[in-house]
Parts: sequence; C-alpha cells; structure tokens
Amino acid sequence: MRKHLADDSTGPILDPHLARKLLAYAKPYRVPIAWSVFTLLLMAMIQGYLPVLIKKAIDDYITATSAEINASIRIQGITHVAWIFISLSGAVFLLRSGQGYLMSWIGQRIIADLRMDLFRKLMRMPLKFMDRTPVGRLMTRMSSDIEAMERAVSDGLIGLIADLFTLLGVMGFMLFLSWRLALILFLLLPFLFVGIVLLNTQIRSAHRNVRKQQSTLNTLLQEAITGMLTIQLFSREENMHARFGEHNHTLKDAWIRSVYWFSCFFPTMEVFRALSFSLLLIAGGAAIGFGIKGVSIGVLIAFFAYVREFYRPLEDLSDKSNILQSAMASSERIFGLLETPEEIEDPVSPKELDHFKGLIEFENVTFAYEGEDWVLRDLSFVIKPGEAVALVGATGAGKSSVASLIARFYDVQKGRVKVDGVDVRDYRQADLRQRVGIVLQDPFIFSGSVASNISMNDPDISRERVIESAKYVNADSFIRELPEGYDTELSERGATISTGQKQLLALARALAQNPDILLILDEATASVDTETELLIQDALKKLMKSRTSILIAHRLSTIRDVGRIFVMRRGKIIEEGTHAELIQKEGYYKTLYELLGSDRNIT
Amino acid sequence: MSSESRRARLLVYVRRHVWIIAAGMMLVTVGVAIGIGVLPFVLCHAIDGLASGEFTLPHIGGLAAAYVLGAVAASLLSLFTRRLMLGLGHRIEREIRDDIFRRLTELDLLFYSRERTGDIMTRMTSDLGSVRECLGPGLLQSSRTVIGFVMAFGVMFVMNIRMAVVMLLLLPVTSGIFFGLLRLIRKRYELVQEQSSHLSNFTQESFAGIRTLKGFAAEQRQTDRFQQVSDTFMSRNLALSRIDRPIWPLMGLIFSLGSVALLVVGGRLVIQEKLTIGQFVQFNQYLVLLQWPMLALGWLANIVQRGIASWGRICTILESEPAIRDAARTDRSLTSISGRITFENVSLSLSGRQLLHDINLEVPVGTTVGITGPTGSGKSLLGYLMARLIDPDSGRVLVDGRDIREFPVRIIRGHVGVAPQEPFLFSDTLASNIAFGLPEEHEERIIWAAEVAQLREEIDLFPEGFQTVLGERGVTLSGGQRQRTAISRAIAKDPQILILDDVFSAIDTHTESRLLQELLPVLRGRTSVIIGHRVSTLRHADVVFVVEQGRLTQCGSHNELIRQDGYYRELDEVQRLEARLESA
Repeated sequence: MRKHLADDSTGPILDPHLARKLLAYAKPYRVPIAWSVFTLLLMAMIQGYLPVLIKKAIDDYITATSAEINASIRIQGITHVAWIFISLSGAVFLLRSGQGYLMSWIGQRIIADLRMDLFRKLMRMPLKFMDRTPVGRLMTRMSSDIEAMERAVSDGLIGLIADLFTLLGVMGFMLFLSWRLALILFLLLPFLFVGIVLLNTQIRSAHRNVRKQQSTLNTLLQEAITGMLTIQLFSREENMHARFGEHNHTLKDAWIRSVYWFSCFFPTMEVFRALSFSLLLIAGGAAIGFGIKGVSIGVLIAFFAYVREFYRPLEDLSDKSNILQSAMASSERIFGLLETPEEIEDPVSPKELDHFKGLIEFENVTFAYEGEDWVLRDLSFVIKPGEAVALVGATGAGKSSVASLIARFYDVQKGRVKVDGVDVRDYRQADLRQRVGIVLQDPFIFSGSVASNISMNDPDISRERVIESAKYVNADSFIRELPEGYDTELSERGATISTGQKQLLALARALAQNPDILLILDEATASVDTETELLIQDALKKLMKSRTSILIAHRLSTIRDVGRIFVMRRGKIIEEGTHAELIQKEGYYKTLYELLGSDRNIT
Repeated sequence: MSSESRRARLLVYVRRHVWIIAAGMMLVTVGVAIGIGVLPFVLCHAIDGLASGEFTLPHIGGLAAAYVLGAVAASLLSLFTRRLMLGLGHRIEREIRDDIFRRLTELDLLFYSRERTGDIMTRMTSDLGSVRECLGPGLLQSSRTVIGFVMAFGVMFVMNIRMAVVMLLLLPVTSGIFFGLLRLIRKRYELVQEQSSHLSNFTQESFAGIRTLKGFAAEQRQTDRFQQVSDTFMSRNLALSRIDRPIWPLMGLIFSLGSVALLVVGGRLVIQEKLTIGQFVQFNQYLVLLQWPMLALGWLANIVQRGIASWGRICTILESEPAIRDAARTDRSLTSISGRITFENVSLSLSGRQLLHDINLEVPVGTTVGITGPTGSGKSLLGYLMARLIDPDSGRVLVDGRDIREFPVRIIRGHVGVAPQEPFLFSDTLASNIAFGLPEEHEERIIWAAEVAQLREEIDLFPEGFQTVLGERGVTLSGGQRQRTAISRAIAKDPQILILDDVFSAIDTHTESRLLQELLPVLRGRTSVIIGHRVSTLRHADVVFVVEQGRLTQCGSHNELIRQDGYYRELDEVQRLEARLESA
C-alpha cells in the first residue's frame, strides 16, 4: 500500500502558473486522459442508477400489493432485476479497475517524462553548479519531490474529479427520483460543508504541528546519535536524555491534539448521515402519508443508498487536498531547477571537429571559481602538438584548474583557452571532451562491470579495445585475477579494488577513448603499494609518448622524464624548463623537488 | 533473542495502560451495541410502519428523533474511543522511544562504529510507527471488528437464519481475498522499492561522478541508461497498479454481489411474508456496517505482520548490551584520579583487524606527552583507551596504578577531557558548546577557555557573541574554529587528563603559535596527551611516542628523537622544507 506522506506547506492547492507547466506534461496524453474522464462519467452514471434498480425491485415486486401479480411472477421479477444489477456491478468493476490502471499509467508516464527531463537537465548543468549543490539536495528533487507529484497526478487530481462526478451523479439521480425529497436533503449540505471545513482546518493545523515537532525531534535525534561519543565523553547522557524526553513529550502531545480533532471527523459524518436519514424518514413518511406522487418505500430505500454514496467521497477529501498541496510545493522546486540557466552552453554554430592536432594555448587567462578569488592570473603558455608538459607546484597553485579549463569544465573570466587555434567555447562540449582524455585525481568507479568502467558504456569501444587498453596500462593482470575478470561487478566508489588498481583502471579508461590530448591529474597516494606504483609510473610514461599531454604531477620519477616543466605558484608560472635546467637554477623548483623526494609528503 | 521474550518486552508497555484499554473496550462495546443493536431496529420499525401505512407523522417524528439521538450517542462514544485508543498508541510510542534513546546513551563506540545513523533513525521513526499502528488503530479496529461481528451476527441469526447465513458466507470470501491481495501487493511493492533504490543509487552515482561523466562526454549515454532504469521502475510500478488499483473495485463488486444475494433471498422472504420490508432494509444496513470490519481482518493481519517485523528490529537496539559500563569489579569508593597513565601490553582489534600490538607506555602525573605516527597507525586509539571509549582485548590500561575498568565510568569521563580532530559541535549556542562538560554555564570559565583557544576575538565578531547559535542563519565555523572550540570545551571542564587528538590540523601556523603560548601553561598543570603530526607542537612535549602500524617504534624527547633515524626525524625534515616553500 502506498505510504501517505503528507505535506508541510501551507500554500495554495492549485497555483495557476505551475498548473500550466504541469499541463504541458499532460498534453501528450490527452487522448487517454479524455478516455479516463469519459470512463469516470460513465461510472458515475451507472453507479447512480443502481439504487434506481433496487427501488424498482422493491416497489414493483417485493412490496407490490396489487393482487394481479402472483408470488412467482414477483420472484421472477426480482431475479430479473438481480441479473441486471450483477451485470451493471460487473461493468462498474471493470470500468473502475480499467480507469484506475489507465490513470496510474498516465501518471507514471508523465512522471517518467518529468524525471527524464530533470535528469537530462542536471547532466547538462555546469560543474560550477554541481560543485556548490550538495548531492543530497539534488537527490531530494529526484526522489521525494518527484514522488509527491506522482501521487498528486495519479491519486489527488483524478480522485478529486472522480469524487466530483460521484457527488454530481448522486445529486442528479436524487433529483430525478424525487426532486422534493432531494431538495429537502440538500438543506443539510451547507451545514455539512461548514462542519467539514472547520474540522479540516483544525486537523490540518494539528497535523502540521505534528510534522513540525517530528522534524524537531528527528533533528535532535540525528544530532544525538552522531554526537553520542562526545556526549558520553562529557558525561552529558542524563542531560541529553532529559532534553530528548521533553521533545518526545511535546511530540506526543502534538499527536494527541491531532488525534483529538481527527477523532471528531468520522463521528461528525456519522451524525450528519443520521440527520439525513431522519429527515428522509420524516419527509418521506409525510409524502407517503399524503400520497404525494413518486414517493414510495422503494424511493425511500433508494435514497438511503444515495445518502451513503454521497458521504463516502467526503471522507478522504482532506487527504486529497493535502496530496495536491504538497505536490504544488514540490513542483515549484522541480520547475525552479528545470529553469535554472545552464551558464556553459554550446555555441550556436559549433566548429566541426574530427581530430585535434593537439596545440594548446592559454592567452592571458584569468580565472576564479567563485567571485574574485583568482586561481589563475593572467596566465599564458603554448604547448605544441605531441608535447608532454608537467605542471608542478604546491597545493592551490592552480594546476588542476588549467586542466579543467582545457576540458571546458568552467569558463574563464578573462583571456582565452584555445585548442588547435580555436577557442574552446567554439566547440561543442561533447566533441571537445571526446577528444580530450582526463585521468582524475580520485578516479570515480561506477557500479557495473570492469569492462563497462573502462569503456564508460560507449558502444563504439569494443571488448578488444577495452582489453588492449588495459594491457597497455598494465591493468590487465590484476583484472584477470578478479573473480570474473572483465565482467566482475564493481560497487560504487570502487570499494572492492584498491586505490592503486583504481588509478590503473582510470588510465585504461582514458586510453580506451583514444584521446588526442591527455590530461592527467596524478596523485601519489600513500596507500599504493610499491609494485602497483611501478606499474602506474610505467603506464604514465607510455601514455604520454604519443600525444599532447599535460601531467599534473606529484610523482618525481614521471616529472623528470617530461620534456618541459611549468612550475606554478599562486596562479602563475614562475619557472619553466627541463628538470636539469630547473635544478641548476636552485629556485623554487629545487625546494619543491626535495620535498617531493622525501616521500613523506604530508600536506 | 526469542520472539517470546520480545513479545514479553512489548507486553510490559501494554500492561501499563491496561485500564485505558479496559475503558476503551467498554466504550466500544456500548457504542457498537447502539450502532448495531438499536439504530437498525429503529429504522426497520419506521419503514415497516410506513409500508403498512400505520404510522402517522408524529409517530415517525418520534422515531426519527430517537434515531438521531441514538446516532449522536454512538458517535460520541466512537469519538471518545478513538481518542482513547489512538492516544494510547502515541503514549506507548513515546515510552518506547524514550527507552530506545536511553539505551542509545548507554551504548558505546563498538555499537556506533557498527550501526549506521540512518538505520538507527529508521528504527526510531518508521519502525516505531508500524508498532504504534498495531497498538493504536490496530487494537481499536480489532476490538470493533470482533465486538461488531459477535453482535451483528447474534442479531441477524435471531432475526432470520437464512439471511444471516448469506452474510456469514461473505465474510471468509472478502477477508480472504483481501488478505491475499494485500500480500501480493506487498510482494510487488517490494519489487518497486528495489528498483526505486536502484534508481536512486544510479542517480546518486551520476551526480557524484559528474566530473568523470562530463570528462568523457558520457552524459548522453548515462541519460540513455537512466532511461532504462527509469522505464523498468515505471513498468514495475504499473505491475503493482495492476493489482493495487482493482483491489477496491473488486471489494466493491463483492459487496454488490452480497447485496444482490440479500435482494434475491430477502425479496423472496418478504414476498412469502417471512420477513418484513423493514427487516430487509435492516439486513442491508448490516451489510454496509460490516463492510469495513470484514476488510479490516485482512488489513489487520497485514499491519500486525509489519508491526512484528518492526518490533524485532527495534529490539535489536534494546537488546544491545554496552561493553563499557560499570560492573561487579567497579570500585565505587574511587571518586577522583591524579592522572598517571600506564599501558601494559595493550592489544586491540576492531572488526577482525588487529590495530594495536602490545603497547607499553607510562605517562607520569603532570607530564605532557606527544603521540605521532602515520595516518591509520592507531595513535587515536591510544586516546580512546585512555578515555575508556573502548577496552583493550588483552593487556591493561592503568590509571593511578589501578585498572581503568575499576573506576566508575563517570569518574573517568569526569576527569578526562578530550578534544577530537573532527569535533562534533551541537547546534546550540557557542557558550553551551564550550560549557558542554560543566554542570552549569559558568561565564568566567567559558570566557577563559575561549581566550586560551584564541577564540575570543572571533566570537566577539559574531552577531550575538557567545550566544550565537551554531548552524542557524548560516553561522558556521571553519575547520580551525571548530577545533579550537573543541579545545576550549575540553579545557573548560578542567580535567586531570587532557587529550588533544590532532586538533591543530586545520589551524594555521600563525594562530597555532599564539594558541600554544596560552595553552602550554594549561597543559603543564595536568597530565596532557597531544596526538598529532606537527613537530612545532610535539616539540613541547616531555616525551614523544611514535606509533607505526599499531606498534610503538620510538620514544623520547624532541631533542633525542631528531638525533635518531626514524619517522620523527623525517617528519621534522619535511616540515622544514614545507616552511621554506611557504616563505619562498
């Protein structure tokens, strides 16, 4: 059964602005929606007709007093009515089930469309946005907000329409059977509605209070659990328990208040139902007594049935309005996200691109992730096709920003980043990144097989290519030792393989794409064993041989072999040259080199 | 633990409210008696009177008034029962929640390193909710169902056996089908849940790995794969809908068939004048009245099943026994400590891995010792052992020459102050965070502690000074500020033993030197343990212990250690180079 997770908002039930956007999602399904509404109408008609049948059975056969029809004909008549009743009930069953399924089909489709749009949007959002938005918040959009909307579409909205039809159908048939009795009964309606509205207001405010108290308690609880050792170290257990106990009591009291009002709801309905019955008895009795045409025992009994039908939809009206209300709050957040500008966009007429020769130019590049916190200041350099360059410097010198800008993860504030003489902003992002291979500092392992982690699910990368790449970067031997070789399933964050193996995998991944430019954000991690370390170093050397490569280096052995070294400090290149030249200079590089060489690199 | 003892544990709570339950049962009985035993008779009587034409208007008016009065009485009773029984659920829920929390305050490091916060939260929210559902609405509904059935069938069998049998046949059919369908629904629902968590993992991974995805221009492919996962999710949802949607229409159909059966059997009986039309209506009313109770049997079976499973999960917390607690060997006459710490052949394993091997060390009263070593070498564990957050597997930790386990836990904790590397601060005022270990907020002490930790000036810049609430209106502390707050929290309680566990890692060197100036005199007055990497801090210790891979490898003063080959000297050299790089 579905969980009823009610809202925490006080906003309107239907915001026209948001409703219009939602409607756009419903548009592709207008035909099934029309069918669904038509079915609802049909159902309301049939269901409204059933009491008429009962009335017929009672008046024409059961209580028929005239002598001209004998008992057996009367019994036959009842059987006849019974068959019609059964067929109509069967039809109602089929219609209701079909309609219910159709509605959930429509709801699921609409929500799936919305979910896809949201996912697509988030995949397109720039890294800058992803950097500053916690994954948890995005997850809430993708899960609970979407769920709230799903409930609203398949239960709330259609439920309300169905209820409306039922109410109108019942009222119509009552008027049809005896407009006088009907009108007398309708006299109760204003009181009923006032009663429901008053109670609902109380119930909702009580419920809101419950949710507030629950979330206060949950916050406290969460904090207490995560900080429990601190609490124990400072002997504050009693204190914390007392505080928790207080909130626990408050929550209970909030619940009791909610129960207080909630308990009134069904009994109130019950009293109104009883009032309707009594009115019926009096009015019906009077009508029968005075011999008013069209009012009979059968009519009276049919009216009893209508009264029951009438009250049923009212019972969960507040549930449905809650569902709708919370969906409005959720849809506001979702549409807000969908409409966030993307900042980094593809050019209108992108430069077509097949292969890069590999010329990289930075022209007076100034860059900050946030505000005026400059990471790169007026940086210029040229890297020739096929050349390998190492960037070295202390943490925060701006090395990895250089790599990020070449892949256009971010846009520069001033100056230009050019590849093959063209500004990176003039390429399509996908084209650019397909030709630029990146090995990240902390390789991300996706859940899936080893092979899919190397090919990144690219169907153009064959199994042979995957294995060939893995062999080239010395990853093949450890992969073959895994329980199912290349088909071994890895879990998120790659818990099942070691850090060094993850790095080898990341190298294979980059190589498999056969990039023209290779960016390696390399980090010597203390936890890599010597053997794997040697494999990684060997693989790095091989990889950099045949293409333009930038190595953001921490490993001495690899730096030494690179043709040119840029020494960076505070967003600028302060020294440049080969390893031998730089060492001779006895400058910043030399100190840095000694530090890296001491192999206990604690930063 | 056996399910029996678990049931007994739950019954303890129920028994406390036995009078509420008894009162609830009585109210239910009277309410149901009116609803089933009186009101339908009134209606029956009225209709018979109308049908035969015997009744005049005042007659009917009287009956109608009686009907309303009866209904009001029944409704009031039902209202009070609801308040009583639903309230009972919430009262018991509160008691259980309180007991779980108490147990959580007693459980130790071992428990918290094993259990995830999210799991504990789930047990205290949704699992507890399922148990409450059983106790409140479950108890209410089951009593109404049982009492309603007994009375209604009693009345019906007296009125007309054949009609009563028709109704009785309906019972197993509806509740059986309903229960079966609920089970089927649950199975399909689990499939939906499974795919839902798959969907959410996939999403989570896509966001967390966005850098890699973008780097390989794989967003489109990832989106296509997401489409597949999302489609499967949708089709599983639709599979659920295929049974979950028709369930109410089906129940409606069954009841329609029931009323047709009543019409056929009852109509014939009326014609044969064995039943009055009023009685016929009365039977129809019972059908309506019993509709929900019949379904309720299936619903009850379902929530009871869920409640039992949830209670079992809750019991795993309630049944966990803390390893660190006062026991038979605790000597309650020990009320203070002077601060001498000795480790005798201490070894420690956590989740199957031995982390400390045969550690022997001695910290005399009033000395300052340093502990250093590579990340993951086990140096923090030494601090844990001194604060008795954990007990060794073998060997002994001695305080003042007596096993630490002989002291009441409160006494140890009361005299040991710990500032951890990643301190946990509470979303409360800064003042109460600093005064966390004090019996009450002592203003002078708070200010003194903040001044020592070099926090005073920064706090004065906050909107409400010491009364600023952390985490509110975007007030957050930097890593270094958090560490310094943890230092003031530890020294504010003026402990005999002060343990600073890597608290300088996020503090810049400039602040560190000012901090040390103030802090060193405070350290001198007690036994102090500085765990960390910075030679600039460690050099002030009387003795430094080096821990590598769980073993004590070096020990001596700063001056002795920098003359030896080993970890400490390398550490010193690296940090000198770093300093040169910084100033270059």
